[in-house]
Amino acid sequence: MKLVIEDVSKRYRGEVLALHKFSLELKPGVLGLLGPNGAGKTTLMSILATITRATEGRVLWNGTDVANDPDAIRSVLGYLPQDFGVYPNLSAVEFLQYLAAVKGLDAATAARRIDELLELVNLSDVRKRSLGGYSGGMKQRVGIAQALLNDPQLLIVDEPTAGLDPEERVRFRNLLSDLSGERIVILSTHIVSDVEATATDIALISKGTLVAHATPEALLLQVEGKVREWVVSSADLNAAKQQFQISSTTRRSDGVHIRVLGDAAPEGAQPVVPNLEDAYLFCLSQHRAGASA
Amino acid sequence: MNRSRVLYHMVRADFLERVRRYSFLLTLGFSVYLGYAVYARQIVLQLDSYRGVNNSAWLGSVIGLVATTFLTLIGFYIVKNAIHRDRETRVGQILATTPMSKSFYTLSKTLSNFAVLAGMVLILALAALVIQLSHTEDPHVHFIALFSPALIFGLCALAVTAALAVLFETLPGLRAGVGNIVYFFVWTALLSLSVATMVEGRPITATRYFADYTGIASVLGQMAAQVHQIDPQYTGRASLSVGGLNPATKTFLWTGLKWNSAIFLSRGMWLVIAAVLAFLAAVFFNRFDPAHERSQVKERKKKPGKPEVGEQLGVHSPDLRLSVSHLTPLLRTRPRIRFFSLVVAELRLTLRGHGWWWYMGAAGLFVACLASSLTAARSGVIVAAWLWPVLLWSQMGTREAQFSTRPLIFSAQHAVPRQLMATWTAGVLVAVLTGGGLGLHLLLARDFEGLAAWTAGALFIPALALAFGVCTESQKPFEALYTGWWYIGPLHHIRGLDFMGTTPGSSTPAAYLAACALLVLAAYSWRRVRLCYA
Repeated sequence: MKLVIEDVSKRYRGEVLALHKFSLELKPGVLGLLGPNGAGKTTLMSILATITRATEGRVLWNGTDVANDPDAIRSVLGYLPQDFGVYPNLSAVEFLQYLAAVKGLDAATAARRIDELLELVNLSDVRKRSLGGYSGGMKQRVGIAQALLNDPQLLIVDEPTAGLDPEERVRFRNLLSDLSGERIVILSTHIVSDVEATATDIALISKGTLVAHATPEALLLQVEGKVREWVVSSADLNAAKQQFQISSTTRRSDGVHIRVLGDAAPEGAQPVVPNLEDAYLFCLSQHRAGASA
Repeated sequence: MNRSRVLYHMVRADFLERVRRYSFLLTLGFSVYLGYAVYARQIVLQLDSYRGVNNSAWLGSVIGLVATTFLTLIGFYIVKNAIHRDRETRVGQILATTPMSKSFYTLSKTLSNFAVLAGMVLILALAALVIQLSHTEDPHVHFIALFSPALIFGLCALAVTAALAVLFETLPGLRAGVGNIVYFFVWTALLSLSVATMVEGRPITATRYFADYTGIASVLGQMAAQVHQIDPQYTGRASLSVGGLNPATKTFLWTGLKWNSAIFLSRGMWLVIAAVLAFLAAVFFNRFDPAHERSQVKERKKKPGKPEVGEQLGVHSPDLRLSVSHLTPLLRTRPRIRFFSLVVAELRLTLRGHGWWWYMGAAGLFVACLASSLTAARSGVIVAAWLWPVLLWSQMGTREAQFSTRPLIFSAQHAVPRQLMATWTAGVLVAVLTGGGLGLHLLLARDFEGLAAWTAGALFIPALALAFGVCTESQKPFEALYTGWWYIGPLHHIRGLDFMGTTPGSSTPAAYLAACALLVLAAYSWRRVRLCYA
C-alpha cells in the first residue's frame, strides 16, 4: 500500500499558485500535515480525494495514476472534508445509509457498519433525530462516521477536530491512532496538539511547498537546545517579542514565562525540553528566512 | 453616521456582491436577449394588422412594455435571494447584532433588488436605441420618447417586484419553492388585471390607470385610439406576444404617449405600494433568529418537552476507550453497482421533509386519476397531479450544492453516472406516485396512444428538473420555467408545448422522449465538466 505524490502543482483561476512541486511518499501510518492557514493543505487534500485535479504532477495509488483512473483510489478512500454539509431532513442513520448506497455497500453490511460507527462516534442515542437539529460537533462526528463507512485503506481527514469538544477531541485522536495500523491516514490540521498525539510522520507545508517531512522525533531533534524559558515582567514583554522569536507565553505570579526559540540565549533563560509546537514554529521561521534570503 | 449614509452602504454592498457574481452576467444576458427578441420580431406588439413605424416613440413603448411584463416575472426569481444570501453567508447574524432596525433592513434589501432590476431596464432602454438606429425607418432619436416608458412604467412596476421579493423571503411559507409557484399566479393575476382594463374597451378612466400595474392598458389604450382615427374598421384588438402572430401588414405613426396626471399619480401609487410592501416585510422578518428557523421549529413540535439534541451531549460521558476494534472489518470484494439501493436512498431523500398533507394530496391525486373518467383524468386531473410534486422535482441535481455534500458523494467511485441516474429514476417514481393513477387507467382502457404520452411526461419532467438543477444548482429556474410552461402548455392543451399529452391533439410523445434523453445527457455532461473527474 503506497501513495506517491510526485511534483504536484495546483494553479487556480487568477493565477493563484496553491501548491508548487509538492512531493511526498506515504506508507501505512498517520501523516500529520501541518501548516499555517492558506498553506495549501486543503488543496492537497482535495487533489488526493479526487475532488480536483492537479495542474501539474501525478498522484499514484499503488502505482496507478489517479488522474487516469480515479476509481482506483475512490474504492478505498474515506474522506472527511473541512467544509461539508448534511441533509437536514434525514436522520444520522438515513444519511449514512444514503452514503453507503453511493459507496456501493450492500444493505446488510451497511446496516451493521452504521450501527457500529454510530456507537463509535457516540451518536447512537440520537441516531433517529433529524440532522437539522444536530449541533456543529455532532455533524462533525457524522462526518467522521461516513469517512469510515467503507473501511477505507486511505483515510483523509481535513481539520477533523474543528467544532469538537475536548472530550470528543481526545476520543477522535484515539480513534485515529487505532486506525493507523493497516492503512494510510492523512490528518491535515493547524492544531499541533492533534498531530502530536497521533502522527507517526509529519509533513510541514508552507505557501504550497513542502518544508519538512520527518518523524516527530526527528523534527524535535532539529530544535534540541534551541528552546529556553525566560521569565520577564509584563512591562518587558513587548521588548522581548521584538528581540526574540517566542513560541508561547504564560502569565504566572512571578512574571510572564516565555519560550524563546533560536540560538541566541537571553540572559537568565533556562534550556527546556522542546515540544512539537516549538519545532513547527522553528522550521517555519527557518523556511521563511531562507525564502526571503 | 447618518441613516441615509448607512442605507447607502447597505444597498451598495449588497448590490456589489450581486453584480460581481458570474450569475449577474446571465441576468444582463437575459436583458440583451429580450432586446434582441424585439429586434428580431420574436416579441411583437401589434394592433390587429398594424404595427408602429420604428421611431423612438414606438420602440420606446414596446421596450417599456417588455420591461414591465417580462422583467416583473423573471426579475422576481432573479432577485429573490437577498435575505437568503445573508443567511447562508452568515452576514445576517452580524447585521442582527447592530442597531439596524428591521424596517431599515427590508428597505435596504428592496432598494438593492430594485437597483439590480433597474440595471436590467437600463440595458433594455439602450437596446431600444440600438434597434432604432439599426432599423433606419426613422433615424431621428428622441430620447425622452425612447426612454420614458421603460423608466416610468418599468421602474415603478419593478419597484413592486423588488418589494414583493423581499416580502416573500420574510414569510416562512413563501420563502422557498412554494413562494416561487405562488408568485407566478400573483404575477398572472396582476397582468390579467392590467389586460382586463384594456380589453373591456372602457374609456380611459382614473380607475383604469390605477389598476394598470404594468402600464400595458395605458399604452395600448392610447395606441388603439390613434389607430381608430386612421382606420375606423379596426377591431380594438392589441397584443404583446412572443412569436406566433401573422406579421403586421400595415404601419401607423405612433407619436408617443400623452402623459397626464392620472398616469403619474397611478405610478406614484404603485411606488407607495412598493414602499408599504417593503415595510410590511419588516413585520415578518425574524432578524435571523435561529429559533425561528423552520427546521428547528419542526424539531420542537415533533418532540415537545425534550431537550435540544446538543444539550444531551453533557448528559452522558462518552467511553473514551471505545475504539475501531469494535468495528467489523469489511471484506475486500470487488465493488458492485447496487443501483436499486441507491434509487431507494434517493427516493427517500426526495420524499423526506414534507408534511403529512403533501402525502395525502399525492394519494388523493393518484386516486382521482384512477376514479375520474378517462377524459377528465387525462385533460384535467393529471395536470394537477404533476404540478403537486414540483417542489420535489426542483431539488433534483441541486441538493449536493445546496447542502454542501458534493465532496462526500463525488469522492465515491462511479458516483456521477450512478447517482445522477438514481436521482432521475427517483424523480420518475415521484411522477408515478402522484400521476400513476392515469397510467393505470390508460393501461386498463388499452389506450396506448395516451399511455405513450403519459410515459413521455413521466420521464420528461424529472429529466427537465435534473438538467436545470445540475446546470444552475438552484431550484428557482426550474420552478419558474415549469410553472409557466405548465400554465401555457398542458393547462391550455397547446400542441408542441403540452408535455403531458393532455389531449390526443396536443400530444407529441416522441418529441418529449427525445428531449428527455437529451436533457439527461446534458445533465451528465455538465456534471462531468463541473467535477473535473467523473
